[in-house]
Amino acid sequence: MNSVDTSTHADAAVAAGRSSEDIVVGQEIVRHRFASRVIHWANALFFFICLFTGMPIWSPIFGWMAAFFGGLAVCRWLHPLAGLAFFAASLVMLMHWMRDMLLERSERGWFGPKMLSYMRYQGDDPDVGKYNGGQKLFFWAISLASLGLLISGVVMWFPEKFPAGVREASILLHDLTFILFAIAIVGHIYLGTAAEPGTFHSMTRGTVSKPWARLHHPRWYREVTGEQPRRP
Amino acid sequence: MSGPELEIRRSSASLPGETSGVRRVPVVAKFIDTTTCIGCKACEVACQEWNDLPPFETLRLEMYQTLPQLHSEFWNLIRFDEREIAGSLAWLMRKDGCMHCEEPGCLEACPAPGAIVQYANGIVDVNPEACIGCGYCETGCPFDVPKINVKTKKMAKCTLCVDRVGVGLEPACVKACPTGCLQFGTKDDMLELGRKRVEQLHENGAPQAALYDPKGVGGTSVVTVLAHGDHPEWYGLPADPHVPASVRFWKRALRPLGMVAIAGTILGAFAHYFRYGRKEPVPESLKQEGEGIS
Repeated sequence: MNSVDTSTHADAAVAAGRSSEDIVVGQEIVRHRFASRVIHWANALFFFICLFTGMPIWSPIFGWMAAFFGGLAVCRWLHPLAGLAFFAASLVMLMHWMRDMLLERSERGWFGPKMLSYMRYQGDDPDVGKYNGGQKLFFWAISLASLGLLISGVVMWFPEKFPAGVREASILLHDLTFILFAIAIVGHIYLGTAAEPGTFHSMTRGTVSKPWARLHHPRWYREVTGEQPRRP
Repeated sequence: MSGPELEIRRSSASLPGETSGVRRVPVVAKFIDTTTCIGCKACEVACQEWNDLPPFETLRLEMYQTLPQLHSEFWNLIRFDEREIAGSLAWLMRKDGCMHCEEPGCLEACPAPGAIVQYANGIVDVNPEACIGCGYCETGCPFDVPKINVKTKKMAKCTLCVDRVGVGLEPACVKACPTGCLQFGTKDDMLELGRKRVEQLHENGAPQAALYDPKGVGGTSVVTVLAHGDHPEWYGLPADPHVPASVRFWKRALRPLGMVAIAGTILGAFAHYFRYGRKEPVPESLKQEGEGIS
């Protein structure tokens, strides 16, 4: 902390978050350092380019989206290029976060009763670390989905190079993966914005409040602050 | 794509109902009799000339055929096949090209509105302005006909000379055929012609002769007489062509279900917000007042 100049109007937490995370700065905790946020938003940017160039090709219902890029023919060549960029960004994201995202034993069956009680805001688990089981499984699911989209996407990019059966399987795989991906992303965006105030902040300025950390990620809060768990 | 005088019956990635449905337009068809084809390739030349397609260098294929398969700049190809049938050599030849299906797989697979159209007279055509070169049509076609041009990134195939047919002329290939194995007219007339020819063949020592008008794609606007009708695959034709089940499933089940699932998730998020609200820390000031609230 000594290296950060807090004597002027500089944002001390953001300044500290340039290079380090999981540290306390005043009343805030740095959750995502600058690099983490850039990686996340680069991935999101390429995702949305892929989304808005892909959906008009998916169905004419979304044809109006093509107008943002200059028409359907532009989408046809931009979508695979944006897809490559998205995959590259996903790969960087995978390398960046995979250690944090290793599943603990208790988190394996998270998509079950645990998810239901989580969504009902019941039974807060004092043992949630920096990421909960749902976040970790989401991370691995979208990483796998990115690979599925890449493989099927390459076939659809150069259809003349592949036999009919491979093309048919790729179209179905690309479609199915996209649908599951879109459902997951809707949940991700909802939980990260409206449902859990303070979360979006962690991906913009990089910081969260102490009460936020104590509520959502109690074990991480204790690790970062050194506080002992409160006796009931 | 021809002028506006032709009514459109079906258009890719569009809702039905683009035609007035008032005018009575007979479905046209090309008749191909493989038993009187002599493999002269006059139709190939006529097709290239009428459609202003570039000349092709002759390939050394060790056979008589001009190209291995159809090409975006070569829409009319005579396929040759030599095989031994019942102890004697048969030299089979068939004019390959777009079949102009009643239920076109290319049109069903196409994501670009208006890129592939089916006219009221049954001709299936490409509109290059709307085509985006994605190649879904190649996957949708059970006859391996549509080809994307590598230079223009557009699909191109036989138009059944829609520009000639639209002004009352027969297709260029039919015009050029010296033996009369190619004929053009209404689908009903061509079917009648085909049935008569098949009968004649049955009486003259070709009991397997049959008419190829596959029902799996709703019939085609190309009616083909095959001497060995029990083996259409000898002519490079699928025995029972269908729009691939994967394409049907994708467009008619997976895609609508996916849309419902995504929309449902968005609605579910709203519903969750109404029912459960936000999850946020209880402010310190409230905590002191009533510890029981959570």
